[in-house]
Amino acid sequence: MMLVIGTLSSQTLTKDWLETGFLALLPATEQQPEIAKAIQKHNEQRDRKVIWLSGAATSEAAISHAQKLKQQLQQSRLFKTILLELPQQQVLQRYQQLFPYRYQLLDAQTQATLQNNPKDLLSRNLETLYSPMGQMTAADLEHDPLLIFSRYFHAQNPIKLAVEDGIVILKDTNRVWALLMADLEDSNLQLDKLESLLALVNNAKAIMQETGGDLIATGMPLFTAYGSESAKHEISTVGVGSSVGIVILMLLTFRTLRPLLLSFLAISCGLFAALVVSVMVFGKIHIITLVFGASLIGVADDYALHFMCDSFGAKNWQPRLGLRYIFPGLLIGLLTNLLSYSGLVLSPFPGLQQVALFSAVGLLVAWLTVVLLFPLLLTRFTPEHQPVILKLANNWQQHWPVWLLKNRRWLVILLAIFIAGGLWHLTPRDDVRLLQSAPAELIKMADKIKQLLPVSPENQFFMVSGNNLDDWHRNEQQLLKALNPLTAQNKLSSYQGLSDYWPDENTQKLNYHLLDGSLYQSGLIKHYMSDLGFSDKAIKNELNQFTTAKNRTISLPDWLSTADENKQNLWLGCDSSQCRSIVSLIGITDLSALSLLQNLPGVAWVDQVEQLSSMFARYRVRVSLLLTAAYFLVFIGLGFKFGWKNALKITSIPVVSALVSLAMMGWFNQLFSLFNLFALLLVLGIGVDDAIFFFMADASREKQTSPDSDNEDKRASTSLAVTLSALTTLLAFGLLAISSTEIVHAFGFTVATGIFTALLLSPLVGFRKV
Amino acid sequence: MIILRVLLLILLSLNNCIADDVLARITPQLSQKTITQGLFQQEKRLKFLNKPLLSAGSFSYDQSKGVIWKTITPIPSLLLVNDEHLLTAQGEQALPPAFARVFKALLGGELNRLSEGFEITGKEQKTSWQLQLTPKDELLKKVIKTILLSGDSELRLLELQEANSNLTRIKFSEISHPDRLSNEQQAEFERLSP
Repeated sequence: MMLVIGTLSSQTLTKDWLETGFLALLPATEQQPEIAKAIQKHNEQRDRKVIWLSGAATSEAAISHAQKLKQQLQQSRLFKTILLELPQQQVLQRYQQLFPYRYQLLDAQTQATLQNNPKDLLSRNLETLYSPMGQMTAADLEHDPLLIFSRYFHAQNPIKLAVEDGIVILKDTNRVWALLMADLEDSNLQLDKLESLLALVNNAKAIMQETGGDLIATGMPLFTAYGSESAKHEISTVGVGSSVGIVILMLLTFRTLRPLLLSFLAISCGLFAALVVSVMVFGKIHIITLVFGASLIGVADDYALHFMCDSFGAKNWQPRLGLRYIFPGLLIGLLTNLLSYSGLVLSPFPGLQQVALFSAVGLLVAWLTVVLLFPLLLTRFTPEHQPVILKLANNWQQHWPVWLLKNRRWLVILLAIFIAGGLWHLTPRDDVRLLQSAPAELIKMADKIKQLLPVSPENQFFMVSGNNLDDWHRNEQQLLKALNPLTAQNKLSSYQGLSDYWPDENTQKLNYHLLDGSLYQSGLIKHYMSDLGFSDKAIKNELNQFTTAKNRTISLPDWLSTADENKQNLWLGCDSSQCRSIVSLIGITDLSALSLLQNLPGVAWVDQVEQLSSMFARYRVRVSLLLTAAYFLVFIGLGFKFGWKNALKITSIPVVSALVSLAMMGWFNQLFSLFNLFALLLVLGIGVDDAIFFFMADASREKQTSPDSDNEDKRASTSLAVTLSALTTLLAFGLLAISSTEIVHAFGFTVATGIFTALLLSPLVGFRKV
Repeated sequence: MIILRVLLLILLSLNNCIADDVLARITPQLSQKTITQGLFQQEKRLKFLNKPLLSAGSFSYDQSKGVIWKTITPIPSLLLVNDEHLLTAQGEQALPPAFARVFKALLGGELNRLSEGFEITGKEQKTSWQLQLTPKDELLKKVIKTILLSGDSELRLLELQEANSNLTRIKFSEISHPDRLSNEQQAEFERLSP
């Protein structure tokens, strides 16, 4: 079997198998495919973009820092495009491409002015021309005497940025910043590339700070990179921590290397098989799967421990006989564990499905290793000594239940109050953002950049659709008109919608007529031009050009071909029944006011954060039921095998453990979400394991006709195994509780408290007063 | 809007003062007071128009508060500028970073602050002087050919020759240095930094 896995591994693990992107953990949206497509398009650019600001006391210094940074970025070969100087050539080209359609393309403000008071347009022109500035506009005047195209063209970039040497310059109280934007080759960077990205940021920052400058950077790729780095760090901490703990425990207990090596064999077989199979099934596995997977060590080790601890329970212990005694317990243990993991498979989260498969395969293979190989490998394994921990565990399992039972009256009341109070305090938090924790410094930089450069679109956006192009245009215009009052009230700082930049062909014709009626037919333009001092020839020429342009219109595809990537990404295209676009939003301060606009025709409000959070909440409820069902299933299964009364005793251990764990979360105000429920599935598996082995120890005593000293020893060896396994599991999961990712931390906390309670309660199962 | 470019492109780098000989001799002649105010006459000659665009109005400069540029004829309009903001009738405009500094340099009589961005040559007589500024920056050269400045104890004339042979000439007159701003001026600066 290992041969098979080995062969498979040579095929699977040679590919790129590790995934680090945060979004890969989340389920594909449950919404319609159009919305999913819109979300993908909306995020596409953002997920690749890193924004850099190099700061210094003067703009010259900031620019020179930025130029050095640009070289550094180019050398790194991580980026597809690096933008420092504004692409002036491109802007000029766009100007020339759209210029012939100047009488058709009017911006909303010009349109309104022409409708209400066309003379205002002329006097505003004069204002600009007579001001001490406006030389550039004056130069435009020659071919655009009304400056209507100049207005349209500049309205396309509503955010006015200061430019020096062709580079965008931002200013705050004590620093001047130069802007550089870079797009990664691929939004799904491999781990080593993410590492080099982080190194690049730190390195560039250090260099700049040495020379008196400063660097801040933000972007989705950085968040992903920091996330992977901390996950990687945690894997090694958790992995090393639990391994060291296990080594010490095993050496103390068995005083020989063999059990340690065998445990290691079982665990590594399990982990390796789990890795190979998961990669085969999922193609790529997520780094978070590995974090949880690392904690599998603790559970996989259980089987080996139960087997080997049994050797303390009998004189002249023989592995095969030992297996015969322990096999039913191991089997039931495996089945309950698999049952509890199978619950995870039912979740819609690819991340948890991976964890489930990874764990199930790992456990199964570790179990098989123990059951099939250990009888051979443990030949002539007869420890002569009485380890201290065995004595301790045995003492504890003899006296602890006595104390518990003696004080049971007030203990039960205390426990009931504790659980009730904890559950009372327990409040679910389903915010998806808790999934991703970022270091404070990264968040600070992101906030700073957001404040200096409010151009990055938010997670939320509108999707606008219509039955055809006209219908779509009308719907989007209606939405944009409704957004204007919100921007005026500062509920939104700005938005981007294509229909503002591209009037549909009907509107284009209306625009032409509007100009014609307001300025051309009335002769106003003639007066205006001759007052300014245009030659008769120039006036005639302008009138001619206007007449020639009469039937011109520009189609959306043609217009889009001149647009920048940002605007192109807003268009989702037309299929046989619908045309769709995105209206992206910048600087939202009032979500609810915006979401109300989804009542407009053809408008859908897409809030990825809210969608995922509410899905978390829904699945939390669903999984609670699943969890109850799993506990019930285990109870039924045990009932058939051991009788209802015994099943109740055994199941009560994980049930109470789970309740205590929930209550602890409540008392300590821990994050309670979907993920903790999955942790409770593990508590079920492990708690049932513990209870079953104590029960089996007791049952074996009943079977034996002559009560010799062996009987008590079974219970002793079981308590040793339970204690050891609880300790190893606590080490493994308890270490998850140190994670900086809040969700992993919560998982660790839940399991740790649950397991600890199970350890305290399980000796009650099958306990008899001597 | 890009309206602002040219005068504003002068912005380039006005930091280190490499005190030119001419500047060194002229600067002491110029009065440097915290408040400067006066009248201006502006003439723009665009090569495709057969008459100049003439405008006139008043200006006020306060070392710490900025500049008020008030056009009175032919169309009244107001332009307010300080280190952070640029306000016109059409609302807040993007402020080219050194725009305020250029205004300060010119109106506040700190001419030596211009030497970083421009080659400066000049003449000086007993009571008057003339300077010719040529941009060092290649990009700026494409827009501005030269800037001519002349004056005595005050800046009296500014002439901007564009590369496309358009020309802007601003004459300053009735320049005075009151001790404090008028209430009206105060109120206008208030609008700039509320």
